[in-house]
Amino acid sequence: MNRKRFGFSALVAAFALAVSTLVAPSASAATEIVVWADENRGPDLTKVIAAKGDWVPGFTVKVVTFSSFDALKEAFDKATDASGPDIVVGANDWVPTGAKSGKLAPLTLTAAVKARFNPTQFLDLTYKGKLYGVPVDINNVAMIYNTKLVSSAPKTFGEMVAEYKSLKTSKGLKAGLCIAGGGMSWGAHSVFSALGADAYQFNSRGQIVYNRAFNASTFGKNVRTLLMDGNKSNGFFPATDTGCKDNFLAGTVPYAVIGNWEWSDYADKGFAMNLMPVPGVKAGTYGKMFGSVSGALLTTFAAKHGVESAAKSLLTNFFASSDGQVRYQTLAKRPPAEKGAQANTTITAAQRGFGTSASLAGIPQIGAFLNSNKGGANYWDSAPAYWTAVLIDGKDATKEAAKLSQIWRTNTIGGKGDL
Amino acid sequence: MTYLIRGKVALLIKVVVVALLASVLLLLAQSAFAQREYVIAAFLAISVVLLALTYLSKISIPLKFFIPGILLLTAFVIGPILYTVAMSGFNYKTGNIISKEEAIVQIKVRGIEAAPSGLSFDIKLGTVDGKPAILVSDINTPEYFLSTLEDRTPLVASSLTLNEYGVAVEAPNFTPLNESEFASADKVYTGARFVFDDRFFIALEGFEAGVVSQQVLKFFPESDQFRNLLTGAIYTDNGRGNYSLADDKGAILEPGWRAPIWFENYSNIVTDPRVREPLIRVFIWTVVFALLTVLTTFALGLLLALALNKPIRGRRIYRSILVLPYAMPSVMSILIWGGMFNTEFGAINALLGTDIAWFSDPNFARLAVILVNLWLGFPYFYLISSGSLQAIPSELMEAAAIDGANPRQIFRKITLPLLLQILSPLLIASFAFNFNNFNLIFLLTGGGPRNELDGEIAGATDILISYTYKIAFGAGTQDLGLASAISLIIFILVASISLYSLKKSKVLESFA
Amino acid sequence: MNKWLKQDLWRHLVGVAICLFALFPLYLVIISSFSSSGSLQLSSFIPKEISFANYNKLFNDPTIPYLIWVKNSLLIAGSVAVMSVVIGSASAFAFSRLRFKGRKLGIQLLLLVQMFPAILAISAVYVIMERVYKFAPEIGLGTQPGLLLVYLGGAMGVNIWLLKGFVDSIPSELDEAAKIDGASEVQTFWLIFVPLAAPVLAVVALLSFIGTFNEFILARLFLVDMESRTVAVGLQQFIGGQYSQNWGPFAAGSILASIPIVIIFLSLQKYIVSGLTAGSVKG
Repeated sequence: MNRKRFGFSALVAAFALAVSTLVAPSASAATEIVVWADENRGPDLTKVIAAKGDWVPGFTVKVVTFSSFDALKEAFDKATDASGPDIVVGANDWVPTGAKSGKLAPLTLTAAVKARFNPTQFLDLTYKGKLYGVPVDINNVAMIYNTKLVSSAPKTFGEMVAEYKSLKTSKGLKAGLCIAGGGMSWGAHSVFSALGADAYQFNSRGQIVYNRAFNASTFGKNVRTLLMDGNKSNGFFPATDTGCKDNFLAGTVPYAVIGNWEWSDYADKGFAMNLMPVPGVKAGTYGKMFGSVSGALLTTFAAKHGVESAAKSLLTNFFASSDGQVRYQTLAKRPPAEKGAQANTTITAAQRGFGTSASLAGIPQIGAFLNSNKGGANYWDSAPAYWTAVLIDGKDATKEAAKLSQIWRTNTIGGKGDL
Repeated sequence: MTYLIRGKVALLIKVVVVALLASVLLLLAQSAFAQREYVIAAFLAISVVLLALTYLSKISIPLKFFIPGILLLTAFVIGPILYTVAMSGFNYKTGNIISKEEAIVQIKVRGIEAAPSGLSFDIKLGTVDGKPAILVSDINTPEYFLSTLEDRTPLVASSLTLNEYGVAVEAPNFTPLNESEFASADKVYTGARFVFDDRFFIALEGFEAGVVSQQVLKFFPESDQFRNLLTGAIYTDNGRGNYSLADDKGAILEPGWRAPIWFENYSNIVTDPRVREPLIRVFIWTVVFALLTVLTTFALGLLLALALNKPIRGRRIYRSILVLPYAMPSVMSILIWGGMFNTEFGAINALLGTDIAWFSDPNFARLAVILVNLWLGFPYFYLISSGSLQAIPSELMEAAAIDGANPRQIFRKITLPLLLQILSPLLIASFAFNFNNFNLIFLLTGGGPRNELDGEIAGATDILISYTYKIAFGAGTQDLGLASAISLIIFILVASISLYSLKKSKVLESFA
Repeated sequence: MNKWLKQDLWRHLVGVAICLFALFPLYLVIISSFSSSGSLQLSSFIPKEISFANYNKLFNDPTIPYLIWVKNSLLIAGSVAVMSVVIGSASAFAFSRLRFKGRKLGIQLLLLVQMFPAILAISAVYVIMERVYKFAPEIGLGTQPGLLLVYLGGAMGVNIWLLKGFVDSIPSELDEAAKIDGASEVQTFWLIFVPLAAPVLAVVALLSFIGTFNEFILARLFLVDMESRTVAVGLQQFIGGQYSQNWGPFAAGSILASIPIVIIFLSLQKYIVSGLTAGSVKG
């Protein structure tokens, strides 16, 4: 028995030795820059890179596409340098957490590259004074109206409500204005803002005012008079985004806030692209929409993989260049962030329409404030909670607005240190 | 066929298979070792020894049955569980994710700041006398110079070759890098400090740009300190995974690292009301949810099994339809249910003619969760109870009927107790499964409704695992250390409940 | 007729009511799959349109290798099903038939391990597999074999519940006899136990097949390459967007993907019913 066992062990060892000599370790310098992206951006980036790949001399670019935005986020949260990307195309609100945790690396842009962008776009990608990526595309919403139901562009919010009430029974409307793109927090900011509740306040010189939040009694009064019937919703503005798109397309909702990434769904159905910001309470004022940018973010893995400078070159030569953005946005159909690309003729009218709409009534999306939960809840959770509390549960619009105002104010002060 | 299992041929097959497997594992162990993955290498090496010992000797017969399972279980279940347990002793959250060594490297990188002048230049990488150098062009002035790690040489434009933007591409004595050299350039040029003047240096920002910079934070390894060279402020290790000022603990350098804090995460669960109070509420709902789910799914499944226990017409069709919820991907069905419960546009309100705010009223939301889980779970209990019904000896019921018992009595006194006895291990398993039924809650309600405006932390339908998930992976601060501690406590709770029920139901008696 | 009413009517009422309950959401999935608007059809019970655009997209869009996903799913779920049954039944056999120290402790530990809330352990699995990728790219993170290994990690524990009772119920006289014949334990397992247990093993295999087929939390982290994805992961791309969801293809893909499962399920119905209970009925 003993001898047999020994024999087997010897056999095993010899076999292993034989096989192991076949493998020679290879350690050459990395010449590949790995970019991670979600299911929307990944395929377009892959195509652009396949058509022209020599953005950084001596390096190739590999785009890894995840099956969903959530999967990308989760993998990036979990990744370490063994598998992590050199650049990740992600949401701007990844910047504060990624920078805090040491997953994102800072970069300094030259004056020439900086000049290609609107300075407020960098706010989204900045954490404690350092920049962690370059803006790739603008994400924003705009309001669209069904020209078969309403003939002209509304001048005030009240006009829309009146129009809705007059058509409600004759056209079988299910709602007046709903949020089809961007959800009840991000997309609905335009409605908050139209009624007087901006997420944070700017003074006349465009600087952030930290110790002030929106006026709860004005906003509460607007909600009561325009959206409520007594302590019930008047049906104009549903507290949910589910079903909005279908109902708009079916002609049972005249006004909808839609995202720029899905305009073609509407255009394909034959809707004229009558894009505009959400009108405010007074004529000539508009609800401000978040004009956020998605960023190509530099990771700290790039340095560990020995491609830090190459990755930075890719960011400036491709992601932040006119040529790169035009090539990418021609496929992706979002408004480009770069000024030269915005002016380029291959960018479509709708892409520009959203761009114009954003410049008419935009508010920069500042993750430091919106993600802060110093007030007890962050913007993303507290905003939809307000609609539910008032429009569904029938709570007092002004009292709830006072809570919301207090939360946002505390969040803005609390997020100041992260800016 | 038996020769495959008995005799010399079998022995030969066994030896070859074990030898192959062992050599593959050894090979892996060797390459793991080469990549400095010592834990994995050790695990693989031990696996080889165990495999060889088990299958080539008679050291233990049970091990022959267990070894493959045990090795896989250790690697992918027990290992990760131990990792979770270990995490619970660390300050491991957003801002404190990486190791201390990595954090020091990161702080050094962030300690480099652009000079107040904000100057940046177009550059070309190359060498002068074989040493790394950059050819710098300030196209605005315009001004040109060569910079190495030691000195800076001004150049006159007339001696240079400029491209269409006015950037110098060639200069005397300067050898630009060719394309193939760029690949290895990162090591040499990135992080190098090319001379600008006495105070500032030029740091690369990509291969084409240089930014005038200065080192603001400097690390002193011997004293384990960072010093701000401009203000003189000193940052020391605060013992919780950050460098901070001595007199202002809030002034920390980012990023931090995961540092051991031993039992603090556990004591936080008890002492911090923002953690403790929601946890108690969530725990109660979790137990109620799991119990109600088991009860309702079992009851409906049993009712159905009783109804179809007789070969009535169309039984096959009923059965075929009834297993459909089980076959549909649960992601799809949960999400469609979520849509059906929508207040304004959902099918349920349309069908009932109501306008119930299903997901914003806590009690309706809980009802919805139970209802959806009933839909998902009843086919399983239908299948197993109809099987069990057939297994109950019919003589028992016949005897009872002769004794004058009516069908209801027979069911209550004979069928049900027997069924419960047979199915109790599966009921307990179902309880344990639903206790941790993350997918349902996460996809259906996301744990809501939650009154954010009044500062609620946990939602009305949050169960322990979805609440833990939010702590670990939610928006904002992700606290993996605290979440691990809570996981461990959940585990102890559900394990003790299950063990107690197992003892009571005597399932494990045959193992005494 | 009277007797039929009295005895069977309630059975049909219960059957029909519960069938409607079971079918209602599925009906909405089906009409959503025939709608081109891309959103779930939630309130209209009569389909507004019959469009095959979603099905067409799955089969004719070159960027969506749906059939490859199906093949991957069948392959992975099939392998997991077979291997996990081998591993699980071997352990169940040993727990039931062999006498050794720590037997009770062993099975208790095995059961308890299954109750650990594994949501955080995923991070650890991720780290382990990305390290494995460094030295063995074929079986590390991002590969199907790697995912298979992780799935098998739970194989020993998961099926113990279903198998244990059944194993206990097989009379031990048969293997006693085999022992007298001079068969070793391993031979008894293969020659006596496995043939006897075939039906219940088929059921356990089927259950783990379904479970693996629908798993996406781990799979979406492992199977990033378009060509290596399973159906559950591949279909995520339609609904996992930040703010935009395209339900049509997801519904169509889910329906098609559930067909093989339903077919296997229905054809094995008899087995499944007897197999599931056999696990819990003692002798």
